[in-house]
Amino acid sequence: MTPAGTQLLRTGGDGRLQALGPDGFVAVSVCRCFPWTAPEAHYSLRDAEGKEVAYVVDAAQLDAESRKALDAALGLAGFFFRVTGIDSIKEDFELRVWRVRTAQGARIFQSELDAWPETLPGGGWLMRDVTGDLYRFPPPEALDPASRRLFWAFMD
Amino acid sequence: MVLLPMSARPATLQIHQALMERFTGQPAVLPAACRARCGRIELYAYCDLDEGLKLQAAWLVLDEARLRVLAADGAEQIALPRAEITAVKEQSGMGACWLGVYGHQGRLLAEVRASNRQKKALEHIRFVLQQQIEGHEVRLRDADAVYAEAVAGSIREAQATVARNQMSVVWRLLGYFRPYKRDVAIGSAAAVVMTLLNLAPPYATKYLLDDVIAPVADGKLGADDMLPTALAVIAALGLTYLVREACVWFRLRKMAYLGEFVAHDLRQEIYAHLHRLSLSFFSKKQTGSIITRVSSDTDRLWEFLAFGVVEASLSVLMLAGLGAVLIALDWQLGLIMTLPVPLFLAAYYFHGRSINRRFLKAWRKWSDVSAVLSDTIPGMRVVKAFSQEDRERKRFDRRNDTALAAFNEVHASWTTFWPVLMLLFHAITLAVWGLAAVRLLGVWGPPLTLGTFIAFSLYMGLFMYPLEVIGQITRMMNRAVSSAHRVFEVIDTEPQITVAEDPVPMERVEGRVRFDNVSFSYDGVRRTLRNLSFEIQPGEMIGLVGPSGAGKSTIINLLARFYDATGGAVEVDGVDLKRVDLPQYRRQLGIVPQEPFLFHGTVLDNIRYGMPEAPLEAVVEAARAANAHDFICKMPLGYETIVGERGHTLSGGERQRVSIARAILHNPRLLILDEATSNVDTETERKIQEALDRLVRGRTVVAIAHRLSTLQKASRLLVIKDGMLAEEGTHAELLARPDGVYRKLHDMQQELHAQFAV
Repeated sequence: MTPAGTQLLRTGGDGRLQALGPDGFVAVSVCRCFPWTAPEAHYSLRDAEGKEVAYVVDAAQLDAESRKALDAALGLAGFFFRVTGIDSIKEDFELRVWRVRTAQGARIFQSELDAWPETLPGGGWLMRDVTGDLYRFPPPEALDPASRRLFWAFMD
Repeated sequence: MVLLPMSARPATLQIHQALMERFTGQPAVLPAACRARCGRIELYAYCDLDEGLKLQAAWLVLDEARLRVLAADGAEQIALPRAEITAVKEQSGMGACWLGVYGHQGRLLAEVRASNRQKKALEHIRFVLQQQIEGHEVRLRDADAVYAEAVAGSIREAQATVARNQMSVVWRLLGYFRPYKRDVAIGSAAAVVMTLLNLAPPYATKYLLDDVIAPVADGKLGADDMLPTALAVIAALGLTYLVREACVWFRLRKMAYLGEFVAHDLRQEIYAHLHRLSLSFFSKKQTGSIITRVSSDTDRLWEFLAFGVVEASLSVLMLAGLGAVLIALDWQLGLIMTLPVPLFLAAYYFHGRSINRRFLKAWRKWSDVSAVLSDTIPGMRVVKAFSQEDRERKRFDRRNDTALAAFNEVHASWTTFWPVLMLLFHAITLAVWGLAAVRLLGVWGPPLTLGTFIAFSLYMGLFMYPLEVIGQITRMMNRAVSSAHRVFEVIDTEPQITVAEDPVPMERVEGRVRFDNVSFSYDGVRRTLRNLSFEIQPGEMIGLVGPSGAGKSTIINLLARFYDATGGAVEVDGVDLKRVDLPQYRRQLGIVPQEPFLFHGTVLDNIRYGMPEAPLEAVVEAARAANAHDFICKMPLGYETIVGERGHTLSGGERQRVSIARAILHNPRLLILDEATSNVDTETERKIQEALDRLVRGRTVVAIAHRLSTLQKASRLLVIKDGMLAEEGTHAELLARPDGVYRKLHDMQQELHAQFAV
């Protein structure tokens, strides 16, 4: 979808994002197509059946109301834990146990021993735990020295 | 309404709860304050994200009357009568999910958010509410077990098992020595004697120098007088060495054999147990992980049992013996040697920690290198097609370089540590020599004999090895306990398919099958089959049709008793399958699966798999009937051709025909065809279909087929939809129903066929 002047997106009465489709507004979920490379662009909006209703190339070009509605929906669609500090990384039987501080609160999670943080295009690292939760680690300079020491083996 | 059984047994529940307490930091059960608010609780989930997506502690609880959102202290935020709920929707993002509950006119009544960790528990609630909206009722008996499995299940899958006390695992492992008590006693005694004898030569040296040579050198005694004593000491020393080496031989031989025996017993036990386990175990665990448990883990345990346990115990004994002897010989020099021991152990400990971190990094870099290899080697065709060789080579070089740097860091660490440690040890040696020199010369302190000093020097040489071993005990034990856990997890897993205590013999199966109000659920929440009832007469060929996910394969799994029905009964010849003599029953059951599995071996071995004694004539006859004989004869080694691992040297159609020949030779009374002709070309399908037509004669057959046309010869078709029997009848009867499910499926396939046939 190429954004035009009309309002293309809105927040429905149930708080969910709705997109203007051929038959009017329908509730949609947002898929960030490039969550790390282009987090502010390329959103696929899909209905309950998973059918694409709209595709937003650049959110900045949306009308104000649509942008607001999209931003509200993106919170959940793009959710991950933002790690701000590391308290410990220990190995247990076949698991690595991470105790971290995140922007959302303190959290304990586990990764498999051969699962490593992936380097992200915009800097920092991404770790996926055994339950599928995502943890974004900032670049080393944004971590305190103790966290940096703990994370040393996982950084490049 | 069907009462579903608990999704987890009490032992499993305890494990899941222990994992949650240990690893997640979230409550393992619904808090008492929340329970007090509710009626009979059916399901609950932890909602760990608030509206602003910050972490919080709230609960979504479904009881028999209401859906409630509760705070951790039990404060009720929302309480919705279940009857008011008209819709429930779920939405998932990258790392979080949302559940919305709606009432009349689409009004949002409640919404909760949670991280992915809680997704399964929330999904259970959504499913049950959805079922309620659709008019189905699902009642669960154990909300705690369902919640615990939903949250801790993925942790348990990633980990071998819940971590128990390390020592209890070691004791259990040592218990495997019990059948070999005598050998253990001999081996251990030999090891102790050997260790103690190590302490003898330096002491003999002291005696020889101080009590034999010195008096002669001082002229106090004549050389001739002392020669017999000297020779006696030398002879005693010789005897000591002889006994010591005999002990070394005993110890190495006994312990190496013992370790091997225990590993052999463990392998046998684990492999035998694997064959008793239900298919659900194999669907949950990766094949590689199971193989590792039988091979590498038992091998690692051999190493630990054969050498680790003994080496560690002997090192402690040796160190204690050395300390005692040194202090007894000369307390001043003895203290110089023994006081720094804790320092050495600490150095080993910290070095171990530091090098582990470096190893971790190197390991990570090495996995990057491996990733390039496992990407590009199988994909070489694509790499070449897109002319990306240079890019791939550079990618590999980059990663190889960083791995090199990481491994060099490891080497830098240990190559620095050891010389520094040895320098420290030499400093202690120098201190001993310094103090010894002033005392030998009589400058300071009590006099010291030359023999004592030389004995000391020899004892000092024995000091480093036990320190090193003790420094590695933790690492060695961690590795062994980790392996033991993985092995014991398999051994401790209880088969879900239990053998009846007094099984009903099934010497000859007639083939009368009855599904009586059967329900089944793989995860204890979602029902794959719902109250399914049908009968099959002996000799009938029944086709199972329906959309994918309808429950067709589950029917087959229950008929083969790979799983037990969770409600109702599956009967063969009037006997509940849970009561039959299972091996006897399965001997009369044949399965031709969608993906035929051939074992590494000859075509002959594979055809004869179910009847190893079958005569060659019967094998050829079966192969002919399966349309396999011709292609087998075209291979240079005919029936003696090795098919390779999983039969990879044969095409898919050839593998299928060998598998049909195997089934024909097995001559089953009850035959299951699980999409046997899918994924093959038309000509191959024709040949397989011919083979199947011969195979099905005179047997009761239950067949699933992707292509409905292949079921035209079936006596009856059962159309399964959403786990229920939607329609039943012959091909012609079902086609005559204009709005029937079968008619729709058939028309859809005809359309597709027409499109592709153009």
